[in-house]
Amino acid sequence: MLAAADAPTALPFLRVAPRGIARGTSVGVPPRAEADVAMERYAEGDDSSFALVYDALAPRLYGYLLRQTRQQARAEDLVQQTMLNIHRARARFIPGAEVTPWAFAIARRLLVDSMRRGKREMLSDDGEIDPGPDKGPMADEVAQARELATRVERVLAKLPASQRAAFELIKNEGLSVAEAAQVLGTTVAAVKLRAHRAYEALRGALGDVLGTPEEGKP
Amino acid sequence: MSATPPSADLRSRVLAAASAEPVPPRAVGTRRRTIALVGGFMVPVAVSLYLGWPGSGGRPVAYVTTLAVAWLAVGLAATWGGVSRGQSMLGRSAAVRLVVATLTPVALLATSLVAAAAWPQTLRDDATMGSHLICVVFTLLCALGPLVAFAVVRRGSDPVAPRLTGAAIGAASGAWGALAIELHCGHASPSHIVLGHLLPVVMFTLVGLLIGDRVLAVHGGSERSDPR
Repeated sequence: MLAAADAPTALPFLRVAPRGIARGTSVGVPPRAEADVAMERYAEGDDSSFALVYDALAPRLYGYLLRQTRQQARAEDLVQQTMLNIHRARARFIPGAEVTPWAFAIARRLLVDSMRRGKREMLSDDGEIDPGPDKGPMADEVAQARELATRVERVLAKLPASQRAAFELIKNEGLSVAEAAQVLGTTVAAVKLRAHRAYEALRGALGDVLGTPEEGKP
Repeated sequence: MSATPPSADLRSRVLAAASAEPVPPRAVGTRRRTIALVGGFMVPVAVSLYLGWPGSGGRPVAYVTTLAVAWLAVGLAATWGGVSRGQSMLGRSAAVRLVVATLTPVALLATSLVAAAAWPQTLRDDATMGSHLICVVFTLLCALGPLVAFAVVRRGSDPVAPRLTGAAIGAASGAWGALAIELHCGHASPSHIVLGHLLPVVMFTLVGLLIGDRVLAVHGGSERSDPR
């Protein structure tokens, strides 16, 4: 059985990240404040800061969009559109505003638009996530993790969209509850409730992996 | 999944696309937005001047002054809640915008009823359908400038609830239009206030609701716009 602590990156919500550091990726994402600072500099006229904004945001946006689309090329297209929207908003960036929830809100909006246009292809024919270029033989634990990830995704797919979105933004993408509330255009209390319900559903369905509350009792 | 970084050339593609589409820094944007707002508010000023110097039109001066101050406060509050984004790039909360969109005409009506109660002589209804219609047309005309200005300022900026923002912007601009015409209108009966002055506010709220998605929403370009 796969213990939560050993779960590879296919199950990022099972891992615990240090508070204040961006979670959900393992590609060296800088603390969130760097995106804010870089965007502030960019808005003030420092053209070179846009590269820093990209470096701070793109990996997280890509991870989020890849999880949603299951297609590398599609996710990259959406990251590109999101970053260009951020670039176009340079002249109206509010001093002191947070970049991360804004960026995720743009990405989510573009994703929804894309899905509405009927271009969504959630899964490839074999039901697996499009892995992109082959990066070598899969280790057993990766295969195991993928199997578990598939189970998780099946459970999440059955949840109401609002619960799934709240859960994914908080647990997968590492947004705070307040940030997720901004992205989803709702209240903090509503996001907490939705994420809690999603987590309960997940725990109910994956009790054999995550453990049940009774297991910890003497 | 999240361990997979975006492809190496995405970064260069994004940076190249951004370089090919220069956007001025914030100082220039602020100047342009100010010009748009000033230009937008010149419309009700111009219409007002066309109608002549504001006057009481036979209504008690204290009544006109009180109502003007109250409606100015409503316009300012609606603009603060519906147009200004505060400290967040995502704007004020949906609840605030919903309040602006739904309660702006209600607040205008409530203040006019309170003023009418204080000056009962204004309750006399001598307005005709023609006077209602004239006020509707001029209120719409006055509100058009602020609506366009607000839409320019907020264009393509709302990724979450653009229709709601549109409705709030419509209500705010309608409030400004209502204020501009209130300074000239000689009728003060509640029925005229509702039909001649508040109906256009509701109409602009609906217009904002309709155009919100097209004008205020964040939209992406065509996918794969750049050769890979």
